[in-house]
Amino acid sequence: MKSKRWIKKATPFFFISPWIIGFLVFTVGPLLFSLVMSFFDWPIMRTPAFSGIANYVEMFTKDAQFYKSLSITLKYAAIFVPLNMVLALLLAMLITQPVKGVKFFRTIYYIPSVISGVAISIIWKWILNGDYGILNYLLSLIGIEGPNWLVDPAWALFAVILASAFGVGVMMLIFYADIKKIPIALYEAAAIDGASPIKQFFKITLPIITPTILFNLVTSIISAFQQLTLVMLLTGGGPLKSTYFYGMFVYDNAFKHHRLGYASANAWVMFIIILLLTMIVFRSSTAWVYYESEPKAKGGGKK
Amino acid sequence: MKRRIGVIALAVMLITTMLAGCATKTNDTATEKEGSQTEKVKLRFASWDSAEDLDMQQNLVDQFNEEHDNIEVVLEAYGDDFDTKISAGMGSNDAPDIMYMWNYPAYYEGLEPLDAYLEKEGADFKAGYYDALWDYNSMNGEIYGMPVGFTTHCVYYNKDIFDQAGLEYPQKGWTWDDLIATATTITEKADGVKGFSYQLVADPYDFEMFLWSNDTAIADENGVMEGNLNSDQAIYVFEMYQQMQKDGIAIATEKGGSDEMRSGKTGMFIYGSWAINTFKEDNLNFGIVELPSFASSGKDSVSILSSSGISMSKDSKYKDEAWEFIKYWTGEELNKARIEYELPVLNSVVESENIMEDELKAPFYSMLEQSAGYVPTSFVIDDWSRVCDNLELAFERIFNPSTLEDAKTVLDEAVKQ
Amino acid sequence: MKMSKKTKIILYAVLSIFAIYFLAPFIYMLFTVFKTEAEAVAYPPSLLPENWLWSNFVDAWNSQEFGTFLLNSLTVTVLTTIGQVFSCSLVAYGFARYHFKGKNVLFTILLATMMIPWEVTMIPQYMQFKIFNWINTLKPLIVPSFFGSAYYIFLMRQFLMGVSKEYEDAARIDGARAFQIYYKIYMPILKPQLILVGVLNMLTVWNDYLGPLIFLQDRSKFTLALGLASFKGVHSTQIIPMLCITVIMIIPPIIIFVAAQKYIVEGTGGSIK
Repeated sequence: MKSKRWIKKATPFFFISPWIIGFLVFTVGPLLFSLVMSFFDWPIMRTPAFSGIANYVEMFTKDAQFYKSLSITLKYAAIFVPLNMVLALLLAMLITQPVKGVKFFRTIYYIPSVISGVAISIIWKWILNGDYGILNYLLSLIGIEGPNWLVDPAWALFAVILASAFGVGVMMLIFYADIKKIPIALYEAAAIDGASPIKQFFKITLPIITPTILFNLVTSIISAFQQLTLVMLLTGGGPLKSTYFYGMFVYDNAFKHHRLGYASANAWVMFIIILLLTMIVFRSSTAWVYYESEPKAKGGGKK
Repeated sequence: MKRRIGVIALAVMLITTMLAGCATKTNDTATEKEGSQTEKVKLRFASWDSAEDLDMQQNLVDQFNEEHDNIEVVLEAYGDDFDTKISAGMGSNDAPDIMYMWNYPAYYEGLEPLDAYLEKEGADFKAGYYDALWDYNSMNGEIYGMPVGFTTHCVYYNKDIFDQAGLEYPQKGWTWDDLIATATTITEKADGVKGFSYQLVADPYDFEMFLWSNDTAIADENGVMEGNLNSDQAIYVFEMYQQMQKDGIAIATEKGGSDEMRSGKTGMFIYGSWAINTFKEDNLNFGIVELPSFASSGKDSVSILSSSGISMSKDSKYKDEAWEFIKYWTGEELNKARIEYELPVLNSVVESENIMEDELKAPFYSMLEQSAGYVPTSFVIDDWSRVCDNLELAFERIFNPSTLEDAKTVLDEAVKQ
Repeated sequence: MKMSKKTKIILYAVLSIFAIYFLAPFIYMLFTVFKTEAEAVAYPPSLLPENWLWSNFVDAWNSQEFGTFLLNSLTVTVLTTIGQVFSCSLVAYGFARYHFKGKNVLFTILLATMMIPWEVTMIPQYMQFKIFNWINTLKPLIVPSFFGSAYYIFLMRQFLMGVSKEYEDAARIDGARAFQIYYKIYMPILKPQLILVGVLNMLTVWNDYLGPLIFLQDRSKFTLALGLASFKGVHSTQIIPMLCITVIMIIPPIIIFVAAQKYIVEGTGGSIK
């Protein structure tokens, strides 16, 4: 009898063991090493020297760029995350409509997220070019003089948001897969009761997909903060550092200024910030996320 | 119990990784002795060239491998990500044996000084290369790279546009006032064309050449910027450039103007020799002339040298073999083979190939002669990469069409950082 | 749900407006691949090329060893997809359907790993792989995927938690053991989601550029994405070959996506019983 109890207790661990092993082997070492690095002055080529919390102190007191990059990233996240979520949800709803040809649109919306990031940056850079870009050309046809998107500090961030919305296909797909799972019977029953499509959306669809909303929200926040490749290739952090995201700040400190210790400290601070934000989101999730079923702590929960 | 296992595993992992980091150094020296005897020595050679030049490079590498039985060189092409790869490599003791190099201040600590190797080859060997190049490949008096190619900067001009505007082609010895007048005429006479274009985010390293031409610099030999970067002569240069935009005769662009030249939107721009082939393939009717001088400075124009070198990692296990390859890569045969995209650095090759007769290439060499003896501030200031970042931002504030800030104010601020 | 004609028209209009945003750059790219390099940067921008240079594709493909790159990309993509689908569903199941001591802590750690910026772990990871002697092989790109990735584990866990417990209860009554429940009941139910994970992974890995950049040295080991990036030089970018290869690289993902759509769409749809 005792062995059966043990097996029962150990079972979940068997299931999650691949991840635990992978985590220990591939993640923990490098992770902790980078934490250690953050307490050192670690120039790429010379020998490292212990410097205690000097890196952190410098970041918070002497480096104005730290705050600037942080605020640019926060601003981007604050605009991009809701925008992206709403757009993804909207598109997902659109493509679940039973009309002819919806498959075609589904593919179109998804394709851009399938194009290599490098190519996307090049294409958008080209489109957004103030002088020979096609966006301004089209705008000029309807009488608007488009700004020099990538040169004018006032517009550059917006240009980045525009270009990054291009990848909304992935989130849209995730929403779509979840929405599709909802039994049609539910909608039919509601319709019979006289509920309008809008009411159906808010009372049926939305609550049921809250788990995926949570997922997309969290992953969206994380990727907004880690934004690097697109902005590096599109604007290089400019013009006038108006799009110098935190990710670039860390990257430059590591590979341009060759200060690995400082860059590690930067990265850990970003990590903590993201962690805090995510925790807040998760804490709040108990209030608005509805799981169809949830295993109860004590045996035999009722549904 | 599972928890305890977890903690132990964690500790083991952490310790292993840290020990390994320190241990790799000792491992390397142990194998170094056995390596160079019987089997083929394998060398890694990192290049920053992009796809179009790779084929030729690979052929040249293959040739070396054929001629040397005991050495095999593997070409690694990193393209635009060269800096990332090299930094990562050096940071983890895994740098390539041989690599292209230009940013000595940033990387020299990971490179092997070559003075001893050069001495072994005899005095003539070193003398065969243009003198001015050695300074650009050295740090603190030691040579860290063999010159592979170089370019100075000159003015490219579009002959068709000049013809259209009824202008004579510029000649060596012209001045900035001439250039401004020319640009003005072009803008007036040629539709939709701006006379001159230059880089929006000016590279401080490059831009210093204009300060040199006007008898000043970014900093003096002690790295002091005050009185240099914000000297009257310097301010004059920045304001002159800025004024060109304000007068509408020039545009500030992202890449400095090569795209604008190719699409016929500008009449002139300043660049190194890198655009020659592209323009030829485009069938652009263009010419090249030396940089204009500043009339008030009383001296010839000066150019910065963008010098490429080839260096050896100081952790390479096969330094002698690496030196063999370096000699090969910088030798006569290869200077000739790469003529189309890198100006040769050997006096002998310049002579034998009659480079000075080529009207497109000769101006670069005359600029080279006019530019001897100048040391870029990047080699002098210790934390140049941080300073460079600040300067870039400052220059952009002056040149970005959306801001066009007052030069004196910006420069006075800049020297304080 | 019947739709009025008016609603249909509005629907199509909205769909089309978005379609333009997504499609326009793509179409522009499709026309530009046939142009010459000079045409590509011309202003005002032209839509149609002067001559339809199909040779651009051939030239681009031949300019580097794309055949080898393709093979490497395929290897990495297929293997990692298998690895991820299996490992992530397994792990997610553990987190979703069981309650055990330390679950929340471990799950939080799992999420936390998603937030780690790669710049910093990159060099320590590189050092670690060097110890394993995996640098310049495809192993650093493939092996970790068999141990699950936080993103997909999280995703699968959310999906799993949304499935009614009735299935499991029924199976337990019949005496099924844990692994059987996982394999025979939940996996079939979640087939669409599994396929989703597979597709997402395939497309991410296919385009992955950073990983190969860091861990590979020999050109013979390069993947397509890395070959693509090689067109970006220090002084200029060769737009035309780059766009050509991009177009070629998009074709397999599109095919896979269109094919997989069928499965993702099916889903459990209606039946609960």
